[in-house]
Amino acid sequence: MSAQQGSAATTKAADTKNGEQTPKDQKPATQLEEDDEFEDFPIEDWTEDDAQLPAGGNNHLWEESWDDDDTSDDFSVQLREELKKLGQK
Amino acid sequence: MQAALEPFLQAHADEVSWVVVAQLSPFAPPENPGRLYDFYRASNEHQIENEVRSALKYNRNSRLSNKEAGAWMEIFVAYWRAVGFILRAEEARNQGRIEDRQFVDIYDAWKTMTDLIVRHISNGSLPNWTIVCMYVTANHLRRFAIRADEQLAQSKSNVTFSPGFGDDIVSTVARNEKLEEAARVFNKMFALCLGDRNPDMRESRKWGTYYVANLLFKTYFKLKNVSLSKNVVRSIEAQNDLPDFKVYPAAHRTTYKYYVGVLAFLQEDYTKAESCLTDAWNMCLPDSMKNQELILTYLIPCRLITKHNIPTQTLLASYPGLKRIFGPLVSCIKSGDLAGFDAALLAGEDTFVKRRIYLTLERGRDIALRNLLRKTFLAEGFEDLKEGQSELDRIRKTRIPLSHFVVALRLRSSGQALEDDEVECLLANMIYKGLMKGYISREHSMVVLNKKGAFPGTGV
Repeated sequence: MSAQQGSAATTKAADTKNGEQTPKDQKPATQLEEDDEFEDFPIEDWTEDDAQLPAGGNNHLWEESWDDDDTSDDFSVQLREELKKLGQK
Repeated sequence: MQAALEPFLQAHADEVSWVVVAQLSPFAPPENPGRLYDFYRASNEHQIENEVRSALKYNRNSRLSNKEAGAWMEIFVAYWRAVGFILRAEEARNQGRIEDRQFVDIYDAWKTMTDLIVRHISNGSLPNWTIVCMYVTANHLRRFAIRADEQLAQSKSNVTFSPGFGDDIVSTVARNEKLEEAARVFNKMFALCLGDRNPDMRESRKWGTYYVANLLFKTYFKLKNVSLSKNVVRSIEAQNDLPDFKVYPAAHRTTYKYYVGVLAFLQEDYTKAESCLTDAWNMCLPDSMKNQELILTYLIPCRLITKHNIPTQTLLASYPGLKRIFGPLVSCIKSGDLAGFDAALLAGEDTFVKRRIYLTLERGRDIALRNLLRKTFLAEGFEDLKEGQSELDRIRKTRIPLSHFVVALRLRSSGQALEDDEVECLLANMIYKGLMKGYISREHSMVVLNKKGAFPGTGV
């Protein structure tokens, strides 16, 4: 293993916690392209507090799929124009 | 060799499995980049067996039983040979020449070592806490198998350049030869973990179950054999004496939930998929962006179906890759832009098909249509106020001429103008799917919407 790869791996190892680092993903530079494969985590275990988001923190992630009742967007204006024309016929 | 195996003996005596794992790693640790090289140079093909034997068996510091020392001896000899192949490949790459079978050799050597670990765990020569060595070694085996198959495919396509109908057949059959072989090893491990009867849970091989299951998922997904993955889930769900899921390491749980979620998604069980993927999302490590992106790749289409929700701009902004593929689609759904939706679906078709989310996303068109109809409903405005009524009593017009919907749909659809009948059909479908409440009066060419909630769940 070259010294260069060694130092690249050092940076990675600095991020690990608990010292329980499993040296799995220190693959040399010619890493294969595994696009949709779930990656190995750099550590085995972590607590809920360290995880993605504490419970209840998911509120700003999703929104309703419809627009707020704002009827002044371009399309609504255009639609009302068209409907007006239709009424005049 | 004596000195090289000293860290192993120490870690073994303390039963610190991850240090033992590190002694069997195909990569040098960052703090000691020359470890593999030093280890390999500590012996040679003629002496390796004797040297390892004397280091493990006849060493007075060694507390290994005879049987266990014999097992480790075989494993370390196999490891030493595998390291030899790894170093040779490394050297060849540094010199810019990779030989035909180099990765295949690494794989074969690593498989010999993996097989030995499996055999000695299953015959009881090794204590069960060494299960970590087994599954981490297996994970390396999986990677080596993939590279070996790539190399085999490459050398085959170089050699069999001659035109002939036989070539195609050979290359498709043998494309994943090594990975398929590795899958059989993982299966053996899975059975070994799942079926362990040791009543002492601290000593149980059952702790390896989810890790090995995840290995199988990754392997089967790569082999495009999703149905075999379902068998893994079924076996686990049928096993009622596993330790509580919550007690397994977070890495095992998160990965497992992701794959079970994706499997449910592929079977169109969106409720289960949503729950598993949400669990995986909540447990995921904040630094593992790639994994979060993968979870969301399935969770976003999933929630579109189950909750009619879309991701916020804030969420998408954190993942440029997701923003690129989902951004246009999501904004067209929101604004009820059917032509834009169709164009976005077409533009992303390759990616969506590859990720197996195309058909699910296509169903999002219903939501886009619902939003368009809803906008039309809002554009109709309110009934005139009767005497004595205040602003608060205002109600929306719920009797809407079919022609109004026709106008709206024509403005927002691409391609040929829709016939009135087609629009009627689309509306009837919306009513049938429960996305819109009301009925169509054909006699009057009128759509009569429910006064209390014409579009359920959207506030109107």
